Amino acid sequence: MFAAAHVNYAQTLSRFDPLPRIIAMDDFDRGFCGWTQLVGNYEDSLDAMLPGYAQHSSPMLSTLPHWDAGSHGGVDGDYALKIATRPRIGAQNVAIKRLTFRKAGPIRMEAYLTFKPEASALKLSETDVRSIGFLFDLQVGDQMAGSGHRVMPHMRFLNAADGKHIQKWQFKRQSVPIVPIGTENKTISHYHLSPDGWEDLAGGDQKLCYNEIPTKVNWHYIRFDFDLASMQCTGFRCNDREFDVSGFDSIRLPAMKNLWCMLNLAFFAEADADKRALLYLDSVCLSGDF
Amino acid sequence: MRMSTSAIVARNVVWEGTSTTEPYEGGWAREAIAFVRALKEPVGNPGRAYVEVSPDGLNWVREGTSFALPANADEVTFARINHFGTWLRIVGEQPAGSSIVVLVTLHLKS
Repeated sequence: MFAAAHVNYAQTLSRFDPLPRIIAMDDFDRGFCGWTQLVGNYEDSLDAMLPGYAQHSSPMLSTLPHWDAGSHGGVDGDYALKIATRPRIGAQNVAIKRLTFRKAGPIRMEAYLTFKPEASALKLSETDVRSIGFLFDLQVGDQMAGSGHRVMPHMRFLNAADGKHIQKWQFKRQSVPIVPIGTENKTISHYHLSPDGWEDLAGGDQKLCYNEIPTKVNWHYIRFDFDLASMQCTGFRCNDREFDVSGFDSIRLPAMKNLWCMLNLAFFAEADADKRALLYLDSVCLSGDF
Repeated sequence: MRMSTSAIVARNVVWEGTSTTEPYEGGWAREAIAFVRALKEPVGNPGRAYVEVSPDGLNWVREGTSFALPANADEVTFARINHFGTWLRIVGEQPAGSSIVVLVTLHLKS
């Protein structure tokens, strides 16, 4: 159905620098590519879902349509994956892809993305999106039970806070309280995207191209390297900047009994005004060295 | 193969008075069905749901389709929607004193 689905696969890949094995090459001109909303855990009743998760909604395939200029389109096609928050300060939304890994070795995530607030005002609105970012949710294989962990590297671009234009990359290693869900001792929940506990990435200040009205967007390249053997981040790049990740660390939790070899990748958006924050993913390439 | 998706646009949300789902962008789809399920026993008299379309996700207009909201827990009501352009949302209108806890889903197909 998508004309751009016929775009040469190699042409799409040439925009990336993947490791030898392509795990997923998600070009949203082909559809949702296995990306869905991050739904919260529950048992017996949806009322058990933590409020942070209850606000999440389904991602969309968007042409970045704007009231004044029409559809913006993606890097090389019509569609991008759109993650939209509700129009409330502090609102968040998350889209996720759920896999497991074949080898506990190096992986690389690359993406072309952009963000804007909903264009509901005739102003630049550069401080209306608080943050956009991504996280992995990883757990060792079952042979490592007893010694391994569930590891959740988080990275966000703190665009603005309390109306100030901040523009810096941050990570999170501070875990949040775990809440038992239901009565059967099978499910827990924890809202790891809570606004507290973020730390600055060393040298992580970066001014991104934002453009001059709320309906003009420019696509950015990000690359995140992680080693599933050591469970350490080994590199991070955004556009022309390679960052020092020696101080980066991840949320680490005891391994959970249902999550062996989990390889989840999620992207999120957060509003800093009573206006929807919109994160668009043109394409995501996940690769590994195996 | 045709493409399709199911989108959850309101989940475990209490509707009273006039309520709306978040805007959903589905310009790739040729057709849609909206389902509303009552997750709990509704209070009072059931209201109606209305389909709305928009040129920009900001300004909304009634598309013309409406359907009854469920009258009982786990009852499902729906409407078929064709030729909606890019944006869709569902609006619920409840009589004074009535409320319903809804699961609203859109099912789009190319």
